[in-house]
Amino acid sequence: MNQKFGLIIEDEEDLATIFSEALKAGGFQTEVIYDGYLAQQRLKEICPDVVVLDLNLPHVDGNQLLIQIRDDPRLAKTRVLVATADANMAEMLDREADLILLKPISFIQLRTMAERLGSSEE
Amino acid sequence: MIAQLLEVSSTDLEDVRRRRLLNILLFGTGSLSFIALIGVVAAYFLGLASTEDFSRLAPIISAVFASLVLIFLINRRWSGWIAGSSFTLLWVVVFSFADEPRQVVEGRALFLFTIPILMSSVILRPWASFIAAGICGLVITIVAMLNLPDYAQGSPPIPTIFGFFTVAFVAWLAARSLENALAELRVLNTGLEERVRERTFELQQANEQLTLAYEKLQELDQLKSRFLSIVSHELRTPLNAIQGFAEMLQAEVYGPLSQKQRGALQRILANDERLLALVNDLLDQARMEAGQLSLTFEPFTLKELIEDMESTMRVLVEAKKLFLKVHVSPAVPATLVGDRKRLHQILVNLINNALKFTQNGGVSVHFYRLDDDYWAIDVADTGPGIAPEIRDSIFEPFRQGDVSATREHAGFGLGLSIVKQLATLMGGSVSVISEVGFGSTFTVKIPIVPPQNHGNQQRPGGRV
Repeated sequence: MNQKFGLIIEDEEDLATIFSEALKAGGFQTEVIYDGYLAQQRLKEICPDVVVLDLNLPHVDGNQLLIQIRDDPRLAKTRVLVATADANMAEMLDREADLILLKPISFIQLRTMAERLGSSEE
Repeated sequence: MIAQLLEVSSTDLEDVRRRRLLNILLFGTGSLSFIALIGVVAAYFLGLASTEDFSRLAPIISAVFASLVLIFLINRRWSGWIAGSSFTLLWVVVFSFADEPRQVVEGRALFLFTIPILMSSVILRPWASFIAAGICGLVITIVAMLNLPDYAQGSPPIPTIFGFFTVAFVAWLAARSLENALAELRVLNTGLEERVRERTFELQQANEQLTLAYEKLQELDQLKSRFLSIVSHELRTPLNAIQGFAEMLQAEVYGPLSQKQRGALQRILANDERLLALVNDLLDQARMEAGQLSLTFEPFTLKELIEDMESTMRVLVEAKKLFLKVHVSPAVPATLVGDRKRLHQILVNLINNALKFTQNGGVSVHFYRLDDDYWAIDVADTGPGIAPEIRDSIFEPFRQGDVSATREHAGFGLGLSIVKQLATLMGGSVSVISEVGFGSTFTVKIPIVPPQNHGNQQRPGGRV
């Protein structure tokens, strides 16, 4: 049984819980990190299938994490869903995200998304 | 060079004027006496003048020249009074030796004495001409008594002295008028300088106040941006959390729910959505005021726009038991270019506004081609209509048609203001026709080819 792995990087605990629950409901195993620096370190060790990435993070911002993921060949298959309240910020990213989710993000929508990603083969 | 030589050291403007005038006279007379001295010496050496003439004239002219130099130095460095008096006296003395005594007292040389009298009025004081006249009278009386037998008994030459005083009077009048005029001019000038100083000061103050006001404005602008980000993040995040958790409960992630619990959750979600819509309205209003709202022009079909509109409005229309009719004229292009999300917002705001005030009947939406350049949307309701006196103000932010109704018809009164601003941003406009008792029709006019300056690059990646 090869369960897919989703990493949630979001400093708002409640939102992180909702994202995590949506991914779990979509069949993912999840891990939540609330801090940009910790996420930076953790991304060197693990290889998530999906990353839900907030842009406004403490210590290291989401844009930098996106660059790190995109420039790491080990994470070539990782799908990045950028979650932000600011559409303008989403336009100024240095690397391309697979999907941009504009906050407020609905649990139902994210669950549907996760179900689709969870069932899709590489 | 000469201007520098003419300068005198004094702070009294009138004194400066007199002493400079004296300097000019000294230069003139000094030059003349110097030339005269050279002439006498040259004539003597060329044999044109006798030794007697030379020995009589050369010392006098030399003495006059030396005196003029001395007076010049006194005038420049020390006192205009002493210099001016000495200058006047020098010429009285010189002139008293200028001719035969009778000519000095009664004849040819008599007019020469008017020169020091006139000069004294301008280089000393206006009234000094009378003193000069007195001195001249005394001098010619002495000359007359010493040299002319008919004056030897001490009787002065009365007509001559009377003439001197007449000249002195005229000189006094002229010099006094000149000084008065100059004094007035100086007062005016000083006033002018003071006024210029005052105005400059006022300007400087106004400038400083402007700078302060500008700084304050910038501060306010920063505050506004900060406010925007606070509203955007701090308000929307908890609202998003409420929505998410309610949706999770509703999806029975945490276990099955009773019918009542389901109903309560429905209310939580509906209110959260309402609050979110209000926050978004406020945010849009603030963004548009700050000129920070930009549009994204993309191709879209009218069908998509209408489907979105119907799915958003269905619940509310059905809840109020009203109708929502849609009519599309065939002349509207099937595919349009514009900001679909913002067009949707315009439609929702107009229909919400119509539904808010309509109790019976419903809302009709009509899409049609206005002319070659524009297409248009009519949103017509069967509500109470808008009174003519407030028809102009309904598009202003934080206004609602009937102020007393604000409590009942909840909201910020931002909907129509946002519609107007969005339509303007799109290069179009919004207008309203209304008859009290028979409903209102709002018309939004939108260009078929959108304006260039508000277009944005398409965002990278997809969107949900």
